[in-house]
Amino acid sequence: MEAPPVTVMPVTGGTINMMEYLLQGSVLDQSLESLLHRLRGLCDNMEPEAFVDHEMMFLLKGQQASPFVLKARRSIDKAGIPWHLRYLGQPEMGDKNRHALVRNCVDIATSDNLTEFLLEMGFRMDHEFVAKGHIFRKGIMKVVVCKIFRILIPGNTDNIEPLSLSYLVELSMVAPAGQDTVSDEMRSFAEQLKPLVHLEKIDPKRLT
Amino acid sequence: MGVTCVSQIPVAEGKSVQQTVEMLTRKLELLGAEKQGTFCVDCETYHTATTTMGNPAQPGKLMYVMHSSEYPLSCFALFENGPCLITDTNFDVLMMKLKGFFQNAKANKIESRGTRYQFCDFLVKIGTVTMGPSARGISVEVEYCPCVVANDCWNLMMEFMQSFMGSHTPGIPSVFGSKHDSVYSPADTMIQYMELLNKIRKQQQVSSTGMR
Repeated sequence: MEAPPVTVMPVTGGTINMMEYLLQGSVLDQSLESLLHRLRGLCDNMEPEAFVDHEMMFLLKGQQASPFVLKARRSIDKAGIPWHLRYLGQPEMGDKNRHALVRNCVDIATSDNLTEFLLEMGFRMDHEFVAKGHIFRKGIMKVVVCKIFRILIPGNTDNIEPLSLSYLVELSMVAPAGQDTVSDEMRSFAEQLKPLVHLEKIDPKRLT
Repeated sequence: MGVTCVSQIPVAEGKSVQQTVEMLTRKLELLGAEKQGTFCVDCETYHTATTTMGNPAQPGKLMYVMHSSEYPLSCFALFENGPCLITDTNFDVLMMKLKGFFQNAKANKIESRGTRYQFCDFLVKIGTVTMGPSARGISVEVEYCPCVVANDCWNLMMEFMQSFMGSHTPGIPSVFGSKHDSVYSPADTMIQYMELLNKIRKQQQVSSTGMR
């Protein structure tokens, strides 16, 4: 008779109050190779992971002025991995001592019926895009270099065209709230990528 | 993971919930089932805030968020007759963020806790269903581990259940109907628990209004 399994009570609550620290920038298509080359040298010793993702933005409108936004992401090129649901809070620019944009974030792995479930919850899809690129890691920092593609026929991820002639570069990390010193590490890493790419904390409010 | 049937067993006449549970577990132990710790399934109800949603097409739809000790790192979100989303436990954090849109009906939190038994290829979980401080009923979950196609093992499961549930052996669960010969999944078990816990909650509401 095999040993009885240890029965545990369900872990409820998840990880509370995680913050995403973010720096963003972009490079023109012709500079991509030199940036990837630099990142291979600076990041952890691993081959960068290539990805093709489909991301959908869902909105839930209420009486509040701003709708509730959730991002649903799925891999197009790899089968059988969970969908990724992400909540991002209001971004805080902070003062000069904080070197990255900070926002509350909740990352959830889900089953593949996420779209159907969000619609059932009352969410509506606002927009979608395809992102193709590479992920590098350095410690808990993540560097994503990707190209954003517009989807020409809603829902059809085969029929796409590039949004611009450049690549989006994002340096991010997720850490518990109140650990602003982690942004120092991000700044020094961003310094090492100059002048190939200038990573800055970009206030999304400025773009709207 | 195999095929599972979740059902309710009525409280024996003149006995308390606890005494009925003891009678059942004694029968199982006499059969030779081995005790393997405890289990817990909980279910929280969320109201869609219809007043804020302003969507008359979905008046007061209820959403259920459930956890099971059999899948300790997962969270199951369901609608009645709707999809069941399986997520990690960060979904609970998201529900807190969604407070303005979905309100947790805390008084409706209902759970089943009890003992987990193994009898050869079967897992049996006898649980006391509680809502707040009071015991409301008894749940019996029977899982036949080696099979994942419901139609292929239902007769065997029924025969086994008859051995300790007698006349209270349930009929074929409605989730089996939609499965035909497809693979049974943990979501199907949670749907059965959701239906059972809702039934027990409603029974109580009816009997408490009847007493007034």
